[in-house]
Amino acid sequence: MILEMNNIQKQFDGLEVLKDISFGVDSGEVVSIIGPSGSGKSTLLRCATFLETIDGGEIKYMGKAAAHTNAQGKAEYVTAKELRQFRSYYGLVFQQFNLFPHYSILKNLIDAPIRVQKRSREEAMDTAMDLLRKMGIDSKADAYPFQLSGGQQQRVAIARALAMKPEILFFDEPTSALDPELTGEVLKVIKQLAEEKMTMVVVTHEMAFAKAVSNRVIFMDGGVIVEQGDPHDVFDNPQEERTKRFLSVFDR
Amino acid sequence: MSITTMLVTMSDGMLKTFGIFFLTLLGALPLGMVVALLKKSRFLVVRGIVGIYISVVRGTPLMLQLLAWYFGPYYLFGWEIGGWRYPAIIVGFVLNYAAYFAEIYRGGIESIPVGQYEAAEVLGYSHTQTFMRIILPQVIKRIMPAITNEIITLVKDTSLAFTLAYQEVFSIAKQIAASQTSFMPFVIAGVFYFVANYLVEFVMKRIEKSMDYYK
Ligand SMILES: Nc1ncnc2c1ncn2[C@@H]1O[C@H](COP(=O)(O)OP(=O)(O)OP(=O)(O)O)[C@@H](O)[C@H]1O
Ligand SMILES: [Mg+2]
Repeated sequence: MILEMNNIQKQFDGLEVLKDISFGVDSGEVVSIIGPSGSGKSTLLRCATFLETIDGGEIKYMGKAAAHTNAQGKAEYVTAKELRQFRSYYGLVFQQFNLFPHYSILKNLIDAPIRVQKRSREEAMDTAMDLLRKMGIDSKADAYPFQLSGGQQQRVAIARALAMKPEILFFDEPTSALDPELTGEVLKVIKQLAEEKMTMVVVTHEMAFAKAVSNRVIFMDGGVIVEQGDPHDVFDNPQEERTKRFLSVFDR
Repeated sequence: MSITTMLVTMSDGMLKTFGIFFLTLLGALPLGMVVALLKKSRFLVVRGIVGIYISVVRGTPLMLQLLAWYFGPYYLFGWEIGGWRYPAIIVGFVLNYAAYFAEIYRGGIESIPVGQYEAAEVLGYSHTQTFMRIILPQVIKRIMPAITNEIITLVKDTSLAFTLAYQEVFSIAKQIAASQTSFMPFVIAGVFYFVANYLVEFVMKRIEKSMDYYK
């Protein structure tokens, strides 16, 4: 298991957003998370990436616990220093890209590997250029984010996350901020990564994409996992009433 | 008295004006950042003290603050204040401008989208790295116009040092104008401030342009 989240609980001032969520991700798996707005999908990813702290439960990467519930029933994290080690296991691609506007595309990709992971400049450059080629944007290496289309910026953001050589990559609605005609180029890149057996968790509203690319689909509603399984089962033969209702909206 | 003589007499005051100007910037630009960061401190007491300092400085005339810094030690503690004139002027200006710069910095820092912090955090940057490498450069670009305005105000505010009878260009202009019953010294002082600000704008525009490569 690359990631295990067990009995995760998260509240926002009294509002229970994650209610005892448990799931794991194996190496090479592509997991899609779908569900209505406000069901807690982003919160789950933000907890997995330590952008939010959980109230209870356990988060494990590579079999090592980053957080667990202590004897007092409260979630307890490892030290800040150890957390930085855990951060090297994953990458996160945001809906809004969040590229660094003052850095060139190339610098966006090499700065953290050099400054955070202390890799050599040459190695970081090689990795970065390989990734940009793979994303089809190597000609933009010296450009700045504002000079790129949304689709190109999101591909840079994916490359920036991959440049850290993570074990697992999280996506939070990677195409939601894009014009419809630009979503294809980003989905294609994610699909390509899936074929290369990159471990990924993708929160998405693109049902066709989720069905085509993922090994497993998780349907969330109201802070719980309502149903999960093989995409063909979940999409074509949902067992739960809530899943049926949610999917019927997309069935046109 | 010829214009040339006036110019020569006033040139020493011009140097003194520049002195106040540069020392104030040298002290207030970095101190403002410290103040801005303290304003965001975890500790309520620190935030409180800094908040009071900022509102007192912004809520009272700089002229009054200069008088307080100069005469305060004498009236409060009975200290000898000979030789304290110039330090009092610099302390007054630096603390005044640091408060204004701090508010500009704070606004700039708060205008950076939270996504920039989150992206940096997920990539593993430390807090210091995030601030120095990701946040600060973007803040500087955004606040440049506001900083320029403040510096232009500072050029004009240096004339307030005349309150403490410091011989900067405006004080000298007043004295010559009185003794020669001529308006010319004020014209010269006016041109001096105008040219100084023209230079400020020129330099600041260049700096702004150098950051134009991104949006
Ligand atoms: N920082 C926060 N403070 C308070 N409430 C929050 C916060 N973040 C999320 N919430 C609440 O938690 C619930 C779940 O939000 P979340 O963003 O995880 O949903 P989501 O499934 O990602 O929805 P969407 O599909 O719209 O992105 C919502 O009710 C939301 O209002
Ligand atoms: Mg969301």
